[in-house]
Amino acid sequence: MKKIISAILILSIFGSCTKNFERINTDPNQISDELLKQDFNLVGSPFSGLLFNLFGHQIEEDLCHDSWMGHLQTPTPFVGNVNNTTYYVRWNVYWDRVYGSVMSPAKQVIQLAEDNNLPLFATWAKLIRILSVSKLTAYHGPVIYSNYGTTESSILYDKESDLYNQFFTELDAIQAEFAANTGYKGFAKFDPSYKGEITAWMKLVNSLRLRLAIRISKVAPDVAKTQGEKAMSDPAGLIEANADNFNVALLGQKIPFAVICFEWDDTRMGAVMESFLGGLKDKRVEKFFSVADNPTHYADHPSFPYKGIRNGAYVAAKIDRVPFSRISTDFQTVQKRRAFTAAEVSFLKAEAALRNWAGAGDAKENYENGVKLSFADWGASGVDAYLADNTSKPWNYVDPLDARNNFTSLSTVTVAWNDADNNEVKLEKIITQKWINNYTNSLEAWVDFRRTGYPKIPHVAKNDSSPDWGVIPADQWIKRMPFVNSERTGNAEGVADAVSKMGPGAKDDIATRLWWDTGGPNF
Amino acid sequence: MTRFKLLLLFMLIANAVLAQNRQLSGVVTDAGNQGIPSATVKVKGINAQTLTDIDGRFTLSVPSGRVVLEISSIGFEKTEVTVEANNNNVSVTMAGSSTAMNEVVVTALGIRRDKKALTYASQTVGGDELRKASNINFMDALSGKAAGINIATSASGAGGSTKAVLRGNRSLVGLSEPLYVIDGIPMVNNKGGQPGSYGGNDQGDGLSSINPEDIESMTVLRGANASILYGSQGANGVVIITTKKGKAGQVSVNFSSSTVFDQVTSLPDFQYVYGADNGSDYNWSSTKGNYQSGYIEDFFRTGVNATNSISIAGGNDKTTAYFSYANTYATGVVPTNTYNRNNITFNQSTRLLNDKLTISSNVMLASELSRNRPGAGYYNNPLTGLYLFARERNFDQYKENYQIFDSTRNLYRMNWYSTEEKQNNPFWELNNNSKLAKTNRIIASAKATYELTEHLRLEARGNIDYANRLFDNRWAAAGNSVSVSPNGTWSYSKYTDQSLYTDGILNYNNTLGPISVSAILGASYQRNTFNDGMNVGNGTTALQYPNFFSFSNFPFNVMFNKTGSTVIKQGLFGNATLGFKEMVYLDLAGRNDWASTLALTGNQSYFYPSVGLSVIVSEMFAMPTAISFLKLRASRTTTANEVPFNVVSPNNTIGGAGTPDGIGGINRNTQVPFTTLKPEKIKSDEYGAEMRFFNGRLGFDFTYYNSVSTNQFLSLAAPSGSGFTRYYVNAGKITNKGFELTVNADVVSNSNLQWRTSVNLSQNKNEIVELIASNPDYQVGGDDEGFASIIKAGGSFNDVWIFKFNRNDAGEIILDDQGKPTKAANMVKVGNVNPDFLLGWNNSLNYRNLFLNVLVNGKFGGVAFSKTEAFLDAYGASQRTADARDAGTIPILAIQGSSKVSSIDPKVYYDAVGDRNRIMEPYVFSRTNVRLAQLVLGYNVPIRNSNGVVKDASVSLIGRNLFFFYKKAPYDPEQAMSTGNSMQSNDVFSVPPTRSYGINFRLTF
Repeated sequence: MKKIISAILILSIFGSCTKNFERINTDPNQISDELLKQDFNLVGSPFSGLLFNLFGHQIEEDLCHDSWMGHLQTPTPFVGNVNNTTYYVRWNVYWDRVYGSVMSPAKQVIQLAEDNNLPLFATWAKLIRILSVSKLTAYHGPVIYSNYGTTESSILYDKESDLYNQFFTELDAIQAEFAANTGYKGFAKFDPSYKGEITAWMKLVNSLRLRLAIRISKVAPDVAKTQGEKAMSDPAGLIEANADNFNVALLGQKIPFAVICFEWDDTRMGAVMESFLGGLKDKRVEKFFSVADNPTHYADHPSFPYKGIRNGAYVAAKIDRVPFSRISTDFQTVQKRRAFTAAEVSFLKAEAALRNWAGAGDAKENYENGVKLSFADWGASGVDAYLADNTSKPWNYVDPLDARNNFTSLSTVTVAWNDADNNEVKLEKIITQKWINNYTNSLEAWVDFRRTGYPKIPHVAKNDSSPDWGVIPADQWIKRMPFVNSERTGNAEGVADAVSKMGPGAKDDIATRLWWDTGGPNF
Repeated sequence: MTRFKLLLLFMLIANAVLAQNRQLSGVVTDAGNQGIPSATVKVKGINAQTLTDIDGRFTLSVPSGRVVLEISSIGFEKTEVTVEANNNNVSVTMAGSSTAMNEVVVTALGIRRDKKALTYASQTVGGDELRKASNINFMDALSGKAAGINIATSASGAGGSTKAVLRGNRSLVGLSEPLYVIDGIPMVNNKGGQPGSYGGNDQGDGLSSINPEDIESMTVLRGANASILYGSQGANGVVIITTKKGKAGQVSVNFSSSTVFDQVTSLPDFQYVYGADNGSDYNWSSTKGNYQSGYIEDFFRTGVNATNSISIAGGNDKTTAYFSYANTYATGVVPTNTYNRNNITFNQSTRLLNDKLTISSNVMLASELSRNRPGAGYYNNPLTGLYLFARERNFDQYKENYQIFDSTRNLYRMNWYSTEEKQNNPFWELNNNSKLAKTNRIIASAKATYELTEHLRLEARGNIDYANRLFDNRWAAAGNSVSVSPNGTWSYSKYTDQSLYTDGILNYNNTLGPISVSAILGASYQRNTFNDGMNVGNGTTALQYPNFFSFSNFPFNVMFNKTGSTVIKQGLFGNATLGFKEMVYLDLAGRNDWASTLALTGNQSYFYPSVGLSVIVSEMFAMPTAISFLKLRASRTTTANEVPFNVVSPNNTIGGAGTPDGIGGINRNTQVPFTTLKPEKIKSDEYGAEMRFFNGRLGFDFTYYNSVSTNQFLSLAAPSGSGFTRYYVNAGKITNKGFELTVNADVVSNSNLQWRTSVNLSQNKNEIVELIASNPDYQVGGDDEGFASIIKAGGSFNDVWIFKFNRNDAGEIILDDQGKPTKAANMVKVGNVNPDFLLGWNNSLNYRNLFLNVLVNGKFGGVAFSKTEAFLDAYGASQRTADARDAGTIPILAIQGSSKVSSIDPKVYYDAVGDRNRIMEPYVFSRTNVRLAQLVLGYNVPIRNSNGVVKDASVSLIGRNLFFFYKKAPYDPEQAMSTGNSMQSNDVFSVPPTRSYGINFRLTF
């Protein structure tokens, strides 16, 4: 009895002691929503992170489309030289960044903005979601968007045509809300891109609408024309000057390429870049890349002291290729990344002009303006001579270490505009220049390449595609990234439904074309 | 006048005392009529006692009239004899305690219990046994001396950490290491960082700061059944350390000095005849040369471990006290590595209020300073450059000129021919990159015991364990360009670990006729605050000014991180043991825990029970004479493990440095709040038998156990579309089954020669029955550069997965069109790192004054793997590659296209298998090893005058890890690269194994 009494006594003491357990189990080095409410930081503070995560890092970009587009290539024979760069999927993680670091926090931000009566922050977050998911869908095709955040056991993906329509509808709403609040300064503190200037964001909205319209111009020409013309006629205007460029702040970190190149020695100039920049006598090369260490490596063109590595190269040993051209040392100190430039807008308008969209202006003017904007943006000289050059062509590539990586340039494009050329040739010039300009933003280049077939870049030297992830025939290039394994196992119904939404005969592999990748002629 | 009266008074009293005393002499012998030395002979009821001499003889002044002598000696049953008034010469025969089984053992919470009443397995190892080979770390010394404990020590040398696992791994998130307890109170063992494939170094643990001299004995409670009173933290077993105390009536001063030398053994086999062509990093030239050799062996030095300690113990019947001081200074086998430890311990115990109240206290101070403790892995490790060195070059030139002046920067930069990320000039690394680890620690406790009645005792204890730890690692400017910033890299972390513990226990003991009752009821409170401090590091972001390591020199975008976690646990526990005629004991225990880590879940309070039964068959039935003791025991326990700090509902974090363009963004917490989180649950059954034969000269202790862990705390990626990124579940089922067997035997026991031998054998079988039923592919752990240590349903903890050769159905290796062996598409399981059987065979021989101790340790089964060897092959640095080149080709059973291939070019072959991330098949070895773990030969200096100043003196020669009877791995799998969960039995350029030999002196005054 005595024991029971004392037990009850001690129990009651303990019962009262557990009240502080919640406080004890709270990490004092994590910041609570309560603290973030001060100075109204709660809703705005995640934005710099949302913007930062529009871009990926090594395995999301450098070992994927940087390589596939020939911008950059790794000297490292990762996983026995059988990896994403040779069409065998080893890494497939941009999906996780989008859902983990953009969609999930953006969902919270939208809710917090509503709770705290700051509707424009919700608008802003919705725009960033479109920026992010419009990139993701370019990897996979169908993605989770309209059903995001539901508690269903299997979450269905959006069909691409529906997805783009939803993007356009949402952009309408976003632009309307921005237009009604152009003087709003609430973003300033949280916006490293535009310092909270609503009118600048409105230019991005229009430019994004134009980018997406051009993306679907072959598969859904009517919708594309309507949306493209809307973008070009909106009074807020487009990103027309380099000062309007949409850049993403690196928040004190080095640009991923600089880390990959200089700290890890895992990326070098792409051979395709060497072929185009060298062949076309493009001075931007000095701003893009560094001179190669070993002159014997560029003995095939000693006056152009750069050497790149073939896309999907045969690599025996990393050490052999470390002396090839690094990226420019300027990248060691840059504080921002180009996410949408005036030059790209100009090239979009040039293509729109070829497609006779109202408001696009003259194709040649847009094309040459795009090249000039790009040279100015990168700080390169000699643009006039470059634009006048109607003879120089991309040259053939010689690998000083392994002849299997040599290639004969498929492209015979020149820089100078010729009004007499047919639309295909004109489009090839536009997209080739867009491809050069989109260095460090190669996902858009990959979209254009699949959509138009330009620029004419070589096939991978080493093709390790297999039934595991889909076979890419010798005359083709990688078409998409498969859905991620966690979804394949954890949301199998959703994935099966998504595959069916890609059309008859579609497979969840790297050989299935996306909706807007129609193949065939461009006009 | 006054003085005279005093003198008179004194003389009178003295006379009276003298008149009442008589001299009693006698001899104390064992059953074999051999004298028992150092037995305590005490007169019951008064403070008069003495020790027997080497022949068991004693003389003692005792009151006239009938007296009762109490005689006690370790290993013997306490004996009382009544000596009649007219008897001045007695002869006492003591029975070995193993016969009577009146052995008292220390159990959970420091409670002393009759061993025969225990319903679970326990094993005690004496402090002398642990000190025999002068190990600096007491856990290192325990290996092989107790059954069922798998101990791996860090290869990093003095001050390094250890990993001990009892009865297998069971927790997926936490380490499955036992709780360490000093005199009943849990101590902090907060392990620091461990090296991985890419580098790092062992940041030690809480065990290295304990002075082995202070240990009276250690008791290993192997299972949850024994440790339920510690609650969840005892779920992985408990190692109880009982410290030395002063003894009434005798003052003794002990001095011990040992010097032990460490020498590198079993380096990999290197070649020195093939160099590199054209300045390459790879020794794949086909032309032979006569190149410099011996520089790898010369790089390592003989390590010296010097330990000097002194302890003073004494007291009277009211107060006892113990004081010790020890200094350990060690220099490692890798140059510039040093370790210095100072330990001060003081404890006292005083009895007050007619001996009803005992107040005792214990203070242990330790300071440890470790410089350049060697690490492992690829980065900033002197051994990579040393081993892979291009043979045609002159090593001495790089040794002497490890740095060269860079006039373009006006500073010294590293001089090394290779720009590889994993290679540094070894001497640049040693001299210019410093690693400092510093710990100052205090463990202080106070205890009060009050005898309320004859049967009821109240105990209250409080303890603080406080450690201040500093890690300061610096890498000089202009060193390795991949991992060090051009202006140098600084990694700094400083924190405190603090544990406050207090409990109150009511203890009841009584015998009511044939029934004995022993019960406790208690409550405890513990508050642990770990890693309370900060860390900061600039990584590869450049410092503002070169080689200046101060906070003000950090660039703006370096984040300073404040760290810390606090966990509170409260417990209420009770235990009752009911005995019947010392034949049958029933043990009931229960504990309720309240854990702060489960706040908001509604499960922060949880209860678990235990029941056990022991039957002493030999007391119940007449046994054949050969069987002197037989006990059977069984118990069943449920315990629980709490979850980690702050997982229920974390907050947001700052995501990066602010810039002129904006403040540092916030990373929102995107984990699903886990408000239904439950504690992990472990159900454990154990059955045991203890037997003694031939008057206790041969003994067996056998235990079979079966534990099932459920409700594992698992972290999962949330479905992409769910709105969250992670969630947690309670799932999984892990079983550990096995047995432990200890055999003790007095093989020879006569007056000149004694040989005592003990064998500890154990086996644990771990099975991951299920992790997540709905997701059978779920696994913990992943590919680590070519091998993976994976925990997955259907497997067991620490299964090793690697890429093998790609073979066809006929078993032929498929070559690609270049003739290169191809790698299988997927990893396959090749084994498990954990050994199947552990064996320790310990022998003590005494011949007159000589003593010899031989310990053989064996671990059987399991795999070991070496990425070091894979690198050496890829770089053509191994003797294997030279032999292959000498032979011209390597035989192979292969196929290229449809044509069979029977030989392959060595370079093609080693390019395919060597280095990281390739075909690891040739680098998986058996972990099985049997070694002469310990050899001690000593001499007890005979002390002629037992009343002299020197009471005892001995000198001994010590050897540890002297040689292997059997070993297949090219390194020592028990000298671990890491003591964490994942890098077990792996070698990535870790310090080569060492053997130790030295000398120890002991003097007792």
